Amino acid sequence: MKRISLLFSFVVVMSLVLAACQPATEVPGTDVPDVTEPEVTDVPAVTPTDYPRNETLYVSGAAWGPANDWNPFITWSKANTTGTVGFVYETLFAFNPMTGELTPWLALEGVWTDAVTYDLTLREGLTWSDGEALTAEDVKFTFDLAQRIEAIWFSPVWNYLDGITVVDDTHLQFAFTDPLYQEWTNNLYNIAIVPMHLWQDRTDEDITAGANENPVGSGAYLYLTHSEDRNVWVRNENWWGIEVFGLPGPKYIVDIRFSSNNIALGAIIKGEVDLSNNFLPGIATLSEKGYIETYYPEAPFMVPANTAVLFLNTTLKPMDDPAFRRALAFAIDVPSIVSVAYANLVAASSPTGLLPTLSMYDDQDVLAELGYSFDTDTAKAMLADAGYVDLDGDGFVEAPDGSTIALEVTCPNGWTDWMAAIDIIASSSKAAGINITAAYPDYGAWNTALTEGTFHMTLNNWATMSNTPWTLYNLLFRHPIQATMGSGNFGRYDSQEMFDLVDQLAAVPADDIEGMKAVCSQIQELMLTEMPLIPLWYNGLWAQFSTSSWEGWPVEGSGSFALPSTWNGYWQMGGMLTLLELVPVTPP
Amino acid sequence: MSAPKRKFESLFFALRNRKLLVGFSIILAFLLLGLFGPLAAKYAPFDYVYPLGAVPPSSEFWFGTTFLGQDIFSQFVHGLRATFIVGVIGGGLGMLIGILVGFTAGYRGGMVDEILNAFTNIVLVIPTLAVLLIIAAYLDVRSLATECIFIGLTAWPWVARAVRAQTFSLRTREFVDLARLSGMRSLKIIIQEIAPNMLSYLLLVFILQFGGAILTAATLDFIGLGPTDAISLGLMMQYAVMWGALPLGTWWWFVPPGLAITAIVGALYSMNVGLDEVFNPKLREM
Amino acid sequence: MRRYFGRKVLIYLLTFFLAVTIDWLIPRFMPGDPVQNMLARVALHPEAAEALRSYFTRAFGLDVPLGQQYLNFWIALFHGDLGISVYMFPTPVAEVLKRAVPYDLFLLIPSILLSWYAGNKFGAFAARSKWLDNTISPLGYILTATPYMWLGILLAWFFGIVLGWFPIAGAYSFSMAPNFSLAFIASVFHHWFLPFASLFLVGFGGWSIGMRNMIIYELEADYSHYLGALGAPKKLIRRYAFNNAVLPQITGLALQLGVIVAGALVTEVVFSYPGIGYLLLAAIQNQDYFLIQGCFLFIIVGVLLANFLIDILYILIDPRTRRGMTGESA
Repeated sequence: MKRISLLFSFVVVMSLVLAACQPATEVPGTDVPDVTEPEVTDVPAVTPTDYPRNETLYVSGAAWGPANDWNPFITWSKANTTGTVGFVYETLFAFNPMTGELTPWLALEGVWTDAVTYDLTLREGLTWSDGEALTAEDVKFTFDLAQRIEAIWFSPVWNYLDGITVVDDTHLQFAFTDPLYQEWTNNLYNIAIVPMHLWQDRTDEDITAGANENPVGSGAYLYLTHSEDRNVWVRNENWWGIEVFGLPGPKYIVDIRFSSNNIALGAIIKGEVDLSNNFLPGIATLSEKGYIETYYPEAPFMVPANTAVLFLNTTLKPMDDPAFRRALAFAIDVPSIVSVAYANLVAASSPTGLLPTLSMYDDQDVLAELGYSFDTDTAKAMLADAGYVDLDGDGFVEAPDGSTIALEVTCPNGWTDWMAAIDIIASSSKAAGINITAAYPDYGAWNTALTEGTFHMTLNNWATMSNTPWTLYNLLFRHPIQATMGSGNFGRYDSQEMFDLVDQLAAVPADDIEGMKAVCSQIQELMLTEMPLIPLWYNGLWAQFSTSSWEGWPVEGSGSFALPSTWNGYWQMGGMLTLLELVPVTPP
Repeated sequence: MSAPKRKFESLFFALRNRKLLVGFSIILAFLLLGLFGPLAAKYAPFDYVYPLGAVPPSSEFWFGTTFLGQDIFSQFVHGLRATFIVGVIGGGLGMLIGILVGFTAGYRGGMVDEILNAFTNIVLVIPTLAVLLIIAAYLDVRSLATECIFIGLTAWPWVARAVRAQTFSLRTREFVDLARLSGMRSLKIIIQEIAPNMLSYLLLVFILQFGGAILTAATLDFIGLGPTDAISLGLMMQYAVMWGALPLGTWWWFVPPGLAITAIVGALYSMNVGLDEVFNPKLREM
Repeated sequence: MRRYFGRKVLIYLLTFFLAVTIDWLIPRFMPGDPVQNMLARVALHPEAAEALRSYFTRAFGLDVPLGQQYLNFWIALFHGDLGISVYMFPTPVAEVLKRAVPYDLFLLIPSILLSWYAGNKFGAFAARSKWLDNTISPLGYILTATPYMWLGILLAWFFGIVLGWFPIAGAYSFSMAPNFSLAFIASVFHHWFLPFASLFLVGFGGWSIGMRNMIIYELEADYSHYLGALGAPKKLIRRYAFNNAVLPQITGLALQLGVIVAGALVTEVVFSYPGIGYLLLAAIQNQDYFLIQGCFLFIIVGVLLANFLIDILYILIDPRTRRGMTGESA
């Protein structure tokens, strides 16, 4: 019997090895109804099984789940297949977040010929990876999809877009009624153009929710393979851009999803991963010791990428009181968050919340008058002035009506840096006499509380780097207020004055810097007086890279606007340029 | 063989049993550390006491500090407390339910036994941890108490099964029959005749439950479904891994909590075997 | 025999029914709205969000009464349809599981069988003399008392990071695509070894302790003394003892399966091994009803099947069960 069991286990092991080979080689057939035929693509006939080290770039940090779709219109899962927009599908323009300028990509030029007409010129010789030409018809088709299908994320553009006329293969004219210039500019580098000849016969459901396996795009890379923990892309040797931009360095890109920081950190130290965009602890030390490199050689090491904002639920007492909210802003120990929770990997935020790249819109006069900084004594004095005093002698203030204050600050469980940060928020607030405790619900529960407005105060950072301050203020003061606030203004700050200002900002022409500044300073004055939320620090564009296999990484002062990021949405904001500049340490 | 004499005899063998003594000493040492350690700790477990991050053990920080500059010794002794609480309350609760179910089934027999036994077998087969994972995810803010209750509620089938079998065998022994014939009431029979004969057995079962509860809690904590408002040894391991203690080489962060759990549970198992030898005269001769 | 078997099957069916019901019930009463959570991360304009929400609610069948949902769940189950994963939309759950399950089996079956086999042998060996017992048994106690993840962490740290002998993430090298070459199979085993070793070692400790205790019981049983008094060689007595002690160890294996599976779940988390464990955790964190159900169902069915197989095996090798089975089913 024993011999049989051993033999049996051997057979099982061997059959499993074979089974383990299976799942990734076959492209997972999906049983979802209404999925169209996979697109034809010219992936090399023989799929390579081994990627040479000096031709392969290993990256990680974008995906938080396995790849499920390559559909550029499914935006929420794009992080898992980062590169769907960028590698495969391309945008009309690229954007340089450091200078705020648009750079031509698929488009050669775009000009407002008058206040309601936008003329777009495409490059000559654009092609899809199946050999078909990419023309103005494809661009029109992509925009028209959003007119027909409301579920596409940029469908609101049709609230002010009147129609699109194709002049010839490379010329289009967009006619507007009442354009939101800021949003339009943002769209120009975020909307991915899809091939009309492959998408026109698809159902609406397939367009908005289909997996779109084996995608055919116009970009520099092609889908090669994927499995639970990786996506592999191969260079498109027939990319139209080779003539314009040159050949991207890596032939293969393996995008790895590590299940924990711990493993990502180990891999980057060993040089098994070339670029990690995970938030990793200990980077400051490792960078100083030369194990890895970062964009800046010293603190804060990372490019500021978004602002961590403390949303206050303004529908609840005492957070409905601007005086209390302002006092809280002074009570929070941001310097400790920066030095302890992040070990100086981040910098404190401007009170306006705008990233340094948009600091030209910070109104210095408003900041001088209404700005805030950590000062427990000031916070105490402000609380006392507003009638918040400790009545029962427990060390914590009571509300002016005598009711006790006990608040909770939250962030998702497992988000280590934020967990440490809200600990500090809680303890420094307690020191100022405000009874706040930290709690870490699971992500799902946290999210529900956030969107349904049942939290007290919580952290959020959902505005990305952008061409306009409107992106941030659109998140902070999203309106109208609804039962579920899925994409901003989680604290339900209800101020028509503020909403009007944000709308006004959206409609300022993109090149009218002075006009934008004027609206911004009004927004900032109101925001800092009312303090419905508190910007705290800039989360970094986490990026640490190893020079053991690839060189030419973008660092401060390297001249180009390449950004070392693989995050979804960053390929057209400097990510692709990074790939163009990389060279292998040992040429193949 | 009268009861007092047997007790005395057990004690005599207990004091000579090395497995039992070693196990007991280890448990006692950790228990004392859990009880009095927090008084000796200079810092609160979550306070950021060392601004420069992780340092190895020193005279100032006996077990070193975490990446965030928290005192590991303080976390460790507070975590030990949590571990013992989960063991006693979680294990105890599972034990209590198990005894009730098992005893009822074994003593009443018949239909009651059929139903209870079927139920026990069903719960026994369902993988506890999978259920626990899902239940734990229900609560967005979890406390040590809820963790104890969950563990207790899922850990009982083992006990029930064992107690039922024991009760079966005892119920049919002569001395119980004699008692029944002599007109004793059920409850009295249980208390006077069956319970003393099962006590030693229950002690063994409790020790296993205690260890099992500690391991289950550590697993839940490590996966991120532990208490959200306390520290425990499992949580320490979770934090250590999350903050990259492995690649950064801060071994002093993840070694002590695992070592303590291993030592405690191992000592419990050793005690279990030792006690078995004490109670079971046949095994002593080895 | 038939009655015994019928009773067993009935218990298994009942367990299955109850488990599936729990399976359906639990995630449905979780706080939070999975569709909302999925949409919340998309900075969508309200109109677009509303359109998507109604689409998903329909697609996931959440728009009918609960009773109907339960019925639909069973019907779909028998069609092998476990729904569509929310977290990995639009991949069907069955598809997601199909990709993960081979890794679990690859990890679990060898580690369970080998640790059981080696543990029993070792335990029997330890029981030979007091000296062996005192030196070897403590190792068993330590191993079986080690939390799975801690052993995993230690192995990953020492062999993966300090010595750098083994990789600590993934199921095969990141520089390879699956194929049937020797290099790839080597890579699979290279990645498999540490998680396997964690599971093996803990199990090994438990089984050897169990066997050691059982053998000592058996050696002290009357029949052993009787055989000894008759002058039977020690080796023979030990063989009888081993054969008798193995039976409870088989039952033990059935009972331990749930615990071992739980151990595999955390081990997979430690080593980023792409099995059900990692999947289940992600599903819970993302409140993915269908994926949680799928994982849970797979675990339950797997454990039930294994139990059933062990039951049959037990009947086959232990003649006593055949006699006892018509009477008291203790």
